[in-house]
Amino acid sequence: MLEKIQLANQHFVLHPSGAMLWEEQQMLLISDVHLGKISHFRKFGSAVPYKAIAENFIRLTEISEYFSPKTICFMGDLFHSSLNAEWDLFADWVANIDASIVLVAGNHDIISELKYEALGIKIFSEITHSKILLTHHPEEREAYYNICGHLHPGFKLRGVGRQVVKLRCFYRNKKQLIMPAFGEFTGNFWISPKEGDSIYAITKKEVILVH
Amino acid sequence: MNRAESIKLANQWFSEQGWKPFKFQKDTWKNYLQNKNGLLNAPTGSGKTYALWVPIVLEYIKKNPDYKTKHKKGLKAIWITPLRALSVEIEQSARRFAEEKGTQLTVGIRTGDTSQKERAAQKRMMPDLLITTPESLQLLLASKNYDKTFKDLNAIVIDEWHELLGTKRGVQVELGLSRLKTISKKLKIWGISATIGNLQQAREVLLGPTSEAFKNSELIRADLDKKISVRSIIPEKMEKFPWRGHLGLHLIAEVVPIINNSKTTLIFTNTRSQCELWFQKLMEKYPEFAGDVAMHHGSINKETRLWVEQAIRNESLKAVVCTSSLDLGVDFAPVETIIQIGGPKGVARFIQRAGRSGHQPGKESVIYFLPTHAIELIEAAALQKAVNKTVVEDRIPYLLSFDVLVQYLTTLAVSNGFFPAEIFPEIKNTFCFQGITEDEWIWVLNFITKGSQSLQAYDEYKKVEIEEDGKFKVNDRGVAMRHRLQIGTIVSDAVLTVKYMKGGFIGSIEEWFISKLKPGDVFTFAGRNLELVRIKNMQVIVKSSKSKTSRVPSWQGGRMAFSAQMSELLREEMYEAAAFMDENPESVTLLNGKKSKSSAPELKALKPIFKRQLKESIIPKSEDFLIETFKTREGYHAIFYPFEGRFVHEALGSLLAYRISLLLPISFTLAFNDYGFELLSDQEIDMQQVLDNNLFSSEFLMDDLYKSLNATEMARRKFRDIAVIAGMVFTGYPNKLIKTKHLQSNSQLLFSVFRDYEADNLLFQQAFRETFEHQLEEGRLRLALERISHQNIIWKACKKPTPFSFPIITDRLREKLSSEKVEDRIRKMLKSLEK
Repeated sequence: MLEKIQLANQHFVLHPSGAMLWEEQQMLLISDVHLGKISHFRKFGSAVPYKAIAENFIRLTEISEYFSPKTICFMGDLFHSSLNAEWDLFADWVANIDASIVLVAGNHDIISELKYEALGIKIFSEITHSKILLTHHPEEREAYYNICGHLHPGFKLRGVGRQVVKLRCFYRNKKQLIMPAFGEFTGNFWISPKEGDSIYAITKKEVILVH
Repeated sequence: MNRAESIKLANQWFSEQGWKPFKFQKDTWKNYLQNKNGLLNAPTGSGKTYALWVPIVLEYIKKNPDYKTKHKKGLKAIWITPLRALSVEIEQSARRFAEEKGTQLTVGIRTGDTSQKERAAQKRMMPDLLITTPESLQLLLASKNYDKTFKDLNAIVIDEWHELLGTKRGVQVELGLSRLKTISKKLKIWGISATIGNLQQAREVLLGPTSEAFKNSELIRADLDKKISVRSIIPEKMEKFPWRGHLGLHLIAEVVPIINNSKTTLIFTNTRSQCELWFQKLMEKYPEFAGDVAMHHGSINKETRLWVEQAIRNESLKAVVCTSSLDLGVDFAPVETIIQIGGPKGVARFIQRAGRSGHQPGKESVIYFLPTHAIELIEAAALQKAVNKTVVEDRIPYLLSFDVLVQYLTTLAVSNGFFPAEIFPEIKNTFCFQGITEDEWIWVLNFITKGSQSLQAYDEYKKVEIEEDGKFKVNDRGVAMRHRLQIGTIVSDAVLTVKYMKGGFIGSIEEWFISKLKPGDVFTFAGRNLELVRIKNMQVIVKSSKSKTSRVPSWQGGRMAFSAQMSELLREEMYEAAAFMDENPESVTLLNGKKSKSSAPELKALKPIFKRQLKESIIPKSEDFLIETFKTREGYHAIFYPFEGRFVHEALGSLLAYRISLLLPISFTLAFNDYGFELLSDQEIDMQQVLDNNLFSSEFLMDDLYKSLNATEMARRKFRDIAVIAGMVFTGYPNKLIKTKHLQSNSQLLFSVFRDYEADNLLFQQAFRETFEHQLEEGRLRLALERISHQNIIWKACKKPTPFSFPIITDRLREKLSSEKVEDRIRKMLKSLEK
């Protein structure tokens, strides 16, 4: 179950995976995948299960097949740390993708631009189009609506009987839409929304407006 | 010099001090000098240090007849203490005897507080006697050529062994000893333990169940008959006494005359935040105590703690508000009275605390129990009986703690490296790993070398390497450094130091508390109100504040639970209360001719509460199992009262919630205390259905329990410690500015990844096993279910919460269990918000 929204008169489709499609541009936005994180931990002696590495690529393939976009735009923190063996897995994945790929660089993206260019991936510090501003860090800019990542927003929904459900979410306010982290093995930042803000929570199956 | 002559030397010294050695001291001397190992059961402050330090020195004298003129250098004995605060005291005693006997033996301390310079000096030349902690012993095993350091070791003494047994630090000691037994050929191993239920087992764990050391060992009991007088502080007006709470501050006025009438009083609180609050309130309400009352807990800086300890000794303080930080060691002669605020949760701990008072021979120990809420008065009455009957708990040793083993093997790989064929028999001979299989051993070796059980393409896992000759070795300096920093099995949050702007260290505080504050916020710490200025480089910079309102950090102390014995006493007390109310519905005076054992003043005082309880419900008798249900704004409550102690209730509560959740889609939050447990839901629980379906059955018990564990978060919490100990979560460099951001993760995340991708991992499974063995206590659970099956279930549908239910339903720390689809829950929650 998807959720369709409009931002700055442009149309977007929110997907339970945490990715989102910009319909006018046929551009698939994916934020904070943190590839290489598990390998990074393993390289430093922390035995995080190896099998979990494959899951990110499986989900990336699923989502790009589902939307078949013209462009895939990674919204920063695509790679968690410096170069490791997971780069080769990523290169294999890129080779099988028809869409063109761009990266809006984030604070974790420290791998050389040349490596990305060799795979045909262009890197930008930001992208602006049709009054939409794509960045990694949340930003406020006059006359633009900002779509970004970085925060890994999550929301705690409370109910009767002292019940709490913790969910990843898209967090939308007047100036920004902050996307959830797409990657496995990433944490959350719990949002306290203000009046007028919207929270679109994602479960494994659905996107649900909860605030 | 023969043994008799040696012992004469000791007797001589004792009489020079005006002392007479106790029998247990002489017994220990004799056994030690006969080259035996052993466990000495003696309470704190009984002279246990001299029981073992004396023969260690005598042995040296015997072997070195010219001991007065010549000094044979090198490490001869190690003294392990669980609390580094105790090391100074031990050092003083040890030095005194060694010097006055004219030896040139040196005594040194090595703990987390020891300076880099001193460590380096020790490395060049070890003192003759080294006083250290279990963690620092591991660190010594992590340094190159440790085998040379320990070559001439004659003795290792594990002080306060009861505190280590039943913890993973105890496992760390077991493993350390297994190595020392091989490399120190003449080693004698001695433990010192306070009274616990399983002393014989404590000796077995210490020495290794099948070892030569165990065969050649003794258990020596001090048997000092110490009178303990337990008194309850009973509020005058029971009507105003709260039904819940854990602070006890409303009885603060009752404490004042006790302090005034005693030379020195120790006031024990259960948590550091409670300690801070009590100290603050005492100062606020009774300013005349300023300078006479101090505070002592683990987060206060070392200098202040040492100052307080010294001030107790020279009688310059009237009272000290403290936590378990003053439970052990340190002999405080002037202490006459103890006040325990809130339930101590264990008889052994209560007796230990009582024993901090009345040290002079012949004097009795006096302990007051101050209840923090009404029902705790029942606990007070039960405690009195427990002390009279000396009903003490067991400390259950850990089995197959693979996390500690992973850490230990990495430690050996960091220093000299190891050959599995040499180490495996050593490990197999420890109590903890007596049951380890060949397969499990290989699993652990694979884990530290490959990070998995099979080689993966593209994998860059790096930790322990296997060298060409088959030696397991860490060669990467980064891995070695991170490992040394991680050694230690006490898991704590990242800790920040608190400092004044102008400089001046105040103490350390957990990061999670500070992260909730913004600059300008005021909080209470170390008895002062402090304003947060900024957080920089792992330091919390503060300035003094005059603000009256402030936040008090609540340190996350472990929640203790009643033992089986204590629970039984509590139930008996409850049954007496029921009988008492039956016999005396209106008046407290006993009716003529009727026998009632209920002369306990605590029960009499509780009468108004009991009456209130009887209005809506009952006080269960031995044949009753009480269930109460009612509805509040929060939802539908169902409270069950097995009176079996918190841990059993956690298991029973989860089990029952799980079984109900199989009947229909439902979500619960669960709360537990030592009296009972609560299932709270947004929908009404059909209690008749619960009873009809016989959900308390012990059929399929283990299977259901395992599944309920999966459904709740209990194992997840255990996993946190395991992940840190096994080196999977890096907690950062203390007080260092090196960036570790890319290596930070939390164990919650890790738990989920293991559950989804590597559920057969031994460390992941250990989290469940530990929950079973140490928390749920299967045996107790079966007995409880057996008992319940013979009781009449009395279900009371109440209109309002009852006094018995109050402490449970107001508990905010909760488990969750749900069999609903998450999407359905979200929709339901959204609907209820619209109302």
